[in-house]
Amino acid sequence: MRRALLIAKRDYLAAVRTRAFLIGLIVAPLLFGGGFLGIALMRAKPDLNTRRIAVVDHSSGAAVHIFQAAKEKSERGAVDSATGRQVAPRYELENVAAGPEGADALRLALSDRVRSRELDAFVEIGQGVLRPDAPAAEQRVTYSTNAGGIDQLRNWLAGPVSDGIRVARLAELGIDPALRQGLVAGVSLERMSLVERDEKTGRIGEARRSGEAEGFLIPYALVLLMAMMVMMGSSPMLTAVTMDKTQRVAEMLLGAATPMELMAGKVLAAVAVSLTSSAFYVAGGFFVLQGLGMVGMLQPAIFVWFYVYLLAEMIMLCSLAAALGAMASTPEDAQHLALLVIAPVVLPLFVVVAVMSQPNSLLSTGLSLFPLFTPLLMLVRQALPGGPPAWQPWVGLAGVLMTVSLIVWVAARIFRIGIMFHGKLPKGSEVLRWAIRG
Amino acid sequence: MYAVELSEVTKTFGSVTAVDDLSLTVPAGSVYGFIGPNGSGKTTTMRMIVNLFYPDRGTVRLFGERRLGARTEWIGYLPEERGLYQKMAVRPLLEFYGELRSGQKVTEEVDRWLERLGLKDWASRKVEALSKGMSQKVQFIAAVVPRPRLLILDEPFTGLDPVSSDALREAILQLRREGVTVILSTHDMHMAELMCDYILMIYRGRKVLDGTLASIQDQYGNDTIRVQADGGLASASGLAGVEQVRDLGQWQELRMTRGCDPQQVLRELVARTSVTGFSVVKPSLHDIFVRIAGPAAEEAAHA
Repeated sequence: MRRALLIAKRDYLAAVRTRAFLIGLIVAPLLFGGGFLGIALMRAKPDLNTRRIAVVDHSSGAAVHIFQAAKEKSERGAVDSATGRQVAPRYELENVAAGPEGADALRLALSDRVRSRELDAFVEIGQGVLRPDAPAAEQRVTYSTNAGGIDQLRNWLAGPVSDGIRVARLAELGIDPALRQGLVAGVSLERMSLVERDEKTGRIGEARRSGEAEGFLIPYALVLLMAMMVMMGSSPMLTAVTMDKTQRVAEMLLGAATPMELMAGKVLAAVAVSLTSSAFYVAGGFFVLQGLGMVGMLQPAIFVWFYVYLLAEMIMLCSLAAALGAMASTPEDAQHLALLVIAPVVLPLFVVVAVMSQPNSLLSTGLSLFPLFTPLLMLVRQALPGGPPAWQPWVGLAGVLMTVSLIVWVAARIFRIGIMFHGKLPKGSEVLRWAIRG
Repeated sequence: MYAVELSEVTKTFGSVTAVDDLSLTVPAGSVYGFIGPNGSGKTTTMRMIVNLFYPDRGTVRLFGERRLGARTEWIGYLPEERGLYQKMAVRPLLEFYGELRSGQKVTEEVDRWLERLGLKDWASRKVEALSKGMSQKVQFIAAVVPRPRLLILDEPFTGLDPVSSDALREAILQLRREGVTVILSTHDMHMAELMCDYILMIYRGRKVLDGTLASIQDQYGNDTIRVQADGGLASASGLAGVEQVRDLGQWQELRMTRGCDPQQVLRELVARTSVTGFSVVKPSLHDIFVRIAGPAAEEAAHA
């Protein structure tokens, strides 16, 4: 063990004393959290160009109310009342009367205006939209555009169109104009946490607001952080072992330590590097949440699980990386084999959003109990409010520990032979023989 | 007491038999030389002694013990190829390797060896800044710093200039005087003759020579004549009873057929030219090596 620690110490210091490590600390979150950063940047620098929408009202009554609702919403959202600065685009609606040329000709003319970017979209309101007893075809409201991606204009317009039509219907019924806005005003659901009884005082605590951070951001950030730590630790391990092998450093080391000690030292060093990086990010995240007044949303137990899973995942994948690195004789071989190391991290990331949307479905439960995926998927389920049934994390952890033991045992046998095996990449049958016969 | 005993050891890699039924004994405190052509099995044998490879058959004993799979902390090992962390400075690197093997701080020992091999001024430099010869010396120091009982050196003189080569040879002999058993492989037959108490030659994975230099030479008898004569190689060609003439520059080396009388060869040579030097000698190690593994032997093996 002393020799393993000595190798670990050397490898750890060699890793963290490099500029690459410091740069990686900064760059890795940008790579992994690039999506969030992009959204934040888009929000900070929104497109303020005025949106223009043509409205063709076949109902002869809804348009005026839609225009009114849209105007109020546009003025309300476009300018920051505190600073007076424009923070969102303005929306201008243009009333287009249906002429004698016919509906199709009008649609074509409006489509051409959209294509020439004179308009962003046009809306057609069915002639029976104010009469609930009218045929469904006459109650249709259509929205036409050539905008790609996530169409925010449609989301924005849905409110004023809906409100305007409802106000118009109330007007048809002769409701007092002063009451109409109040009657159609929307109601929002405020998300709150569950309450608990304080065991010391016996008092029932107050519910607190629980926002996106608790429901999505914190679980997702934890999963991304773990994926980042594991990938930053295990993939370089593979190439480092191959380098040690091809530069014959491994032969020198194996003259002094057993293969198991050498592999253990390298795995320990990678784990220590990951723990160092994760401590940096966890502390940083804690201070950010504290600054935002959201630190109360963190569950201390989840950090214990985070580090238990991180340790298990690191030991498992770094052992695998060491074995694969020992099999490779060139950096190219190592690059090909790296896919096998990152697969247990990347595959769960593909399904993590699906798991978060239905955390207790059969599929989510099954995937999170699959040992290679447990560290990421069980963690995200545990981090979500409510969490999985209490037994599941323990069953998942038992599976992980058994898998870790098996992989370390097999990896050590492959490592011992592979590290002194030079030439072309061994065949699968050969590797299997190494693993079985040692 | 034997430092190393190999008994009927075989090691194969796929369809290739690298070492075939090899047995040898290395007396403690001796310098034991491995010679043989490239790919003959010398390095594989050394790696089995260091426990880097396990034999498929046979046993390896070190100082009387079988230690398959165990750490061999009292072995110093110098691999054939440089295996040094390029980004580390020389002194920390040597301290790391020394402590890794011996389990103790080796700072003083490192300083002593750096001084002895003329590397003191390079102690703080990174390994990547060293020449090939310096790297070889650093690697040698890494092998000897933990004060091993058994020192295994695979091609230790490769890349060294004559001065460094002499310094290393002297260091090895000093270690032997201190009781360290040394196994070394070399392609330098002259160095093997000078240094080794025992010589083993491996050819195609099998032992073909094993013993002291004298006993090996005795196997071949006094069948070699060295002559110095006017006319050089041309004057020595075609002599009766001489099966091979090798030009050494100032001298020619003649190998006689079995039963040939050296005096008869001398008489014939004197009749041809002026002879200024003549001696009957045992064949050199180089000559024996070439007889076993040279092109003629290769052709015979493939015939």
